[in-house]
Amino acid sequence: MKFASLVKNRKALVGLILFALTVLLAAFPGLFTSVHNPGEIGTYGPNLGPSTGHLLGTTSYGQDIYSQLVYGARQVLEIALLAGAFATVLAVLIGITAAYMGGIVDEALSLVTNVVLILPTFPLMIILAKYAGQSNEVMIIVLVATGWSYGANQMRAQALSLRNRDFLEAARVRGERRSYIILFEMLPTMTSLIVANFLGSALYSVLAASGLQFIGLGNTDQQSWGTMLYNAHSMEALQAGNALWIIAPGLAIALLSAAFALMNYAFDEIGNPALRPVRRKDLRRSRKAERLAAQAADPHAEKGARDADPDVYADAS
Amino acid sequence: MPTPTSTQTPPDPTAEPLLDVRDLRIVYDSPRGPVEACSGVNLTVRPGEFVGIVGESGCGKSTLLFGIAQLHTAPARIAGGQVLFGGADLVTMPQKELNDLRWRRLAVVMQSAMNALNPVRTIGDQFKDAILAHEKWGEEKIAERSAEVMRLVAIDPVHLRSFPHQLSGGMRQRAMIAMALLFTPDLIVMDEPTSALDVVAQRSLMVQIKELQQQLGFAVVFVTHDMSLVSHFSDRLLVMYAGQVVEFGPTRTVFDTPSHPYSRSLLEAFPSIRGPKVPLTGIPGDPPNLANPPAGCRFNPRCPQVHERCRTDAPELFDVAETGVVSRCLAHHPSDPLDLSESPTPNPDSDAELEVQS
Amino acid sequence: MTVIESKEVAGAAPLLETSGLSRHFKVGGSIFSHQLLHAVDDVNLTINEREIVALVGESGSGKSTMARLLAQVYKPTTGEIRFQGKNLSELRGRKQQLKYRSDVPMVFQDPFASLNPVYKVSHGILRGMKLHRPDLNSAEARHEELLRVVAAVGLNPPEEIVERYPYELSGGQRQRIGFAQALAYRPKLILADEPVSMLDVSIRIGLLNVMAKLRDEEGVSFLYITHDIASARYVSDRLMVMYGGHVVEEGPTEAVLADPKHPYTQLLLSAVPDPRAPLEVTSEAAKAEPPAVIDPKPGCRFRARCPLAVDVCAHVTPILQPLTPTHRAACHVTAPAP
Repeated sequence: MKFASLVKNRKALVGLILFALTVLLAAFPGLFTSVHNPGEIGTYGPNLGPSTGHLLGTTSYGQDIYSQLVYGARQVLEIALLAGAFATVLAVLIGITAAYMGGIVDEALSLVTNVVLILPTFPLMIILAKYAGQSNEVMIIVLVATGWSYGANQMRAQALSLRNRDFLEAARVRGERRSYIILFEMLPTMTSLIVANFLGSALYSVLAASGLQFIGLGNTDQQSWGTMLYNAHSMEALQAGNALWIIAPGLAIALLSAAFALMNYAFDEIGNPALRPVRRKDLRRSRKAERLAAQAADPHAEKGARDADPDVYADAS
Repeated sequence: MPTPTSTQTPPDPTAEPLLDVRDLRIVYDSPRGPVEACSGVNLTVRPGEFVGIVGESGCGKSTLLFGIAQLHTAPARIAGGQVLFGGADLVTMPQKELNDLRWRRLAVVMQSAMNALNPVRTIGDQFKDAILAHEKWGEEKIAERSAEVMRLVAIDPVHLRSFPHQLSGGMRQRAMIAMALLFTPDLIVMDEPTSALDVVAQRSLMVQIKELQQQLGFAVVFVTHDMSLVSHFSDRLLVMYAGQVVEFGPTRTVFDTPSHPYSRSLLEAFPSIRGPKVPLTGIPGDPPNLANPPAGCRFNPRCPQVHERCRTDAPELFDVAETGVVSRCLAHHPSDPLDLSESPTPNPDSDAELEVQS
Repeated sequence: MTVIESKEVAGAAPLLETSGLSRHFKVGGSIFSHQLLHAVDDVNLTINEREIVALVGESGSGKSTMARLLAQVYKPTTGEIRFQGKNLSELRGRKQQLKYRSDVPMVFQDPFASLNPVYKVSHGILRGMKLHRPDLNSAEARHEELLRVVAAVGLNPPEEIVERYPYELSGGQRQRIGFAQALAYRPKLILADEPVSMLDVSIRIGLLNVMAKLRDEEGVSFLYITHDIASARYVSDRLMVMYGGHVVEEGPTEAVLADPKHPYTQLLLSAVPDPRAPLEVTSEAAKAEPPAVIDPKPGCRFRARCPLAVDVCAHVTPILQPLTPTHRAACHVTAPAP
């Protein structure tokens, strides 16, 4: 994994910054706001507009919106990262096993994957959340249960295309055990896809969790952006003239989702160099180098020692 | 009945060239800077002539072909030179004129028919597409012409209703050639059309192409890595190395008396099935990194007859006296030829590849 | 310079022998179809010590299936494979299986796909040593052996090469690493499945020379599978020609090429482009394609393309008949049964 490339890619950089900011908010809320209990009702005057004391104003309950936003980051991030991770693990396990084992195992696992895939997720989530309760753990389980199948198909497809690659056959002929081949020969070549899958699952989780919370199925004890939206909506914030109460958490959700999506772009491009755009600045640099070379009138002017690009695999297929 | 081994009526050497590539430079814009894949290539093809372009991987021959046919895409771009086809420069030609020219006068046959043919449409449908892209013919005329070209390449026209996967490799490749012949172009450009085929099918296809060429009179530019394949079929042979033309001339002359050490070494790297069995050495080392080519002659790090001068003076394409061959070796410098019979100053053994001692 | 001589090991027991080896695959669209593709049929193959045997054929001839049968990727449908006298189907337990795999490793065709791109090139070699060389019981011993095998295939300096990733090496260098991997097992026989067909012509010779060197200096035998009869001639001691799953001709390489008896061998030879020789006439046989042998009836599988075919060819499958004690061909016309 080339993290240097991650930073060089502008889209990913923006995504990374947004993500890092959210992590900071979640980990050290005290750094960003002096309020310690943003959920406490009636601390401040209701529906106050933005001011130096309340950067984003207050809610109808008299809570400071800005500090709610800060403390809300933790729950969203927890859910997104945990649900994303578990969904990815499940997708990888099922997808790769199906592809590598083939035959009846593949048929069975594919059947399960496809059935789960076509189930209508949102209604299913609502039902599960209603009956299983409204804790964070349940939320995570619900998200994982409905979100793993898409990734499993992707993993299976990728593993199938790798399955007959010579280096895997070489490992078989070498006498390696099947479990070794799957874990240490196949999996490492799929890291880009797995990370991309994780980011996609995290993105899905942010939006799905916020959606569930918005209709009141989330954990109302903890601060979270989705719950803020729920409260704002039930207190008719827009009619009350408190647009910020809705805009602030909505925008935060959108930005976090965007962060995951942007980082996802970068992993696509890292994994497959053929997708990398020839950047405008490289084009200009390349033409400039040519001109300088021509000016130097020596056909073999030193254009800078350039070794083979270490980020490019000789064979991207 | 003996198969003809070369054109019965050789192309007229004084005729105006059909294709005249002048000083063509094709550059790839990579994030690390420009990489020149083709450096000043000069090539002429006369009407009805068969020109073979030979070289190994990384020499730029496929890039050259795509550049000639104006099929190159970013990050490749033409950085200089002209591609004169029938007098008009294809590089600066507007897209509309280029489309008119394509297939009618200039056709392309790709390397792998399985990749070039649409797997979900029948051969006949694909022919129809090609025809309708250039002419407004009626159904009957399309069917007639499609059947005609299939017969030309010895495929039963009933296969117009087949899908590509239903045909064998050799047949698919011949179908590609049939498609190229739809408008009887003046020039067909082929990029290794036989490399995916077995040796027997290869031979059969080459003979077929040659027969068609004599029958219909089109010129052929044939790119391959296999020198011996074109040896019996091409009129002139062009050898490429590291993006440059290193030798170009009548095929027989290049084979019998190669003027460039690379051509010589390449010829010697083919084991023969006749005659005594001799140990061969191939060419040690690897082709150079085109982002940073060697100073002087680009072949110098691997040349068995390298001299000190080769490392500093970059040779141009020099005429080799009275042979009609041009060669990019200092041995043919008009005013100051290098004497190759003098003992060479070989490179110190610093390469990763070690020549296996015999 | 000495001409490479062929080695005839008289009298010694063969290293590997197959008798009546066949491999069939079920084909056909439906689950109920009973069509069988006869990829390999009734092949008797012998490989001796210190010998390079070339298996030549076009696609569909069965040569790649033979390699995979010998590498135990496929199990034989019928027939047996005996290595050093012991029948492969009698190998019991992981230990014996591993021993066979270390005695008979395989080198693959595609240098760009045969090395795992996420690991350094030393990875495969070291894994192989962990599995197959219990005599190397320390990391230093393994590292030393690693450098030895990498140098033995002509990659210098070995300390630097082993630290590189596959994309940093050229095709020819990667293929040499493939040979080094096989060499690290101290093998008796290396199965080389088209090891040079994806390399540039000028690089091929280097690798073929490595094979000859390993045979001479390390005493390793090779099964060299290829469609290129010219390279087969260059490096092999004995030659076997396959068509449609059968061996149609076999014998010492020079003997077979000097006097090819089977019409298919003759066709192959005439089709090989040789710039130094005039073009030979291509017969009509060249126009056809090798068959996919599905549920074959008895009879010669080459008869559809054979210029010499007679009535008996359609009814009786020809078997290999000796023309000399070492040169055999399977043709009713040119090598009739006595």
